[in-house]
Amino acid sequence: MKYAKWTILTLLALIVFGFFHYTLPQHDIVRIVNTYQERQDLDDWTRIFWATPDDQATGLINRDVQFIQAVDADGDPRVYRNEDTGWHWPPYFKFDTANLQTEAEDLKSTSAAPQWVSVTHYGWRNVYFSTFPNAVGIKPVAGPDVTIIPWVNIVILTFLAFILFMLRRMWLQFRERMIDPVIEDVEEAWDSVDAQADQATAKARGIWGRFRAWLGTWKSKPRR
Amino acid sequence: MIAFVRLAVFGFIGMTAAYFLLSVYSRSVERERLEREWDDDPVSGDDPAARDAYIEAGLQDYRKSLRRKLIWLVYVIPTVIVLLLVYLNDT
Repeated sequence: MKYAKWTILTLLALIVFGFFHYTLPQHDIVRIVNTYQERQDLDDWTRIFWATPDDQATGLINRDVQFIQAVDADGDPRVYRNEDTGWHWPPYFKFDTANLQTEAEDLKSTSAAPQWVSVTHYGWRNVYFSTFPNAVGIKPVAGPDVTIIPWVNIVILTFLAFILFMLRRMWLQFRERMIDPVIEDVEEAWDSVDAQADQATAKARGIWGRFRAWLGTWKSKPRR
Repeated sequence: MIAFVRLAVFGFIGMTAAYFLLSVYSRSVERERLEREWDDDPVSGDDPAARDAYIEAGLQDYRKSLRRKLIWLVYVIPTVIVLLLVYLNDT
């Protein structure tokens, strides 16, 4: 039972962490090497890792997706998709895919004369399921070692913690003002019902009852 | 376009729920504060009617207070944030 509880709690924590890790923006310091466009099939379960542009017909099962190829400071490849999120989840309200692709094209550089950029993105790269993080912004930076403070994440997570705190306060207030008094009332009512019941039994016994009780005292006591 | 309508509708439902919860909470806290205030220093003794009148008058004042009006920010702030994001993320 203990194991079941901890398994479920761990799973829940993993799901929450995974949700935020996928959805919140992250920054990579990379060098853009190329951009390309490729037709993608969108008819299996990995569909959830692709965006839903507003102008896409619902029955469409494949379409062209733009990609940005980059290399990070260690020389590891980073490939981003570049898709509109529009009014859909996650709420980046990105409508400027074509502009972003142009910026990426403009910031292309060689390893001989590197131009480092910070790519803001969300999502996961998985080579087995062919999923790509979605780039939402590109900004030139001085070098591969610049530190970027994730202000957006700090603000969002602080705000969510504040909401949880407020919900807890609300619940405690509701319990104190609405539930506890009712429980007290019920307890009081129950006590008075008890007292009334005692009185009623005492009354109902009457003379005949007392006589029977007196008779009962003559009976032999149950053996111990 | 449908996605925008969906965002607007669910956003409105969410904001309304938040507004409702916050206003109930805020009024409850205010009432509790008034009750405590009276119980700490009863103006006219142990008269329950006077206590009720005092609390009722305090809640009347609360209805016109700035704090209650500030709860409307629950509708304003998310809308402004979305508009800001739409602007900032696409320029």
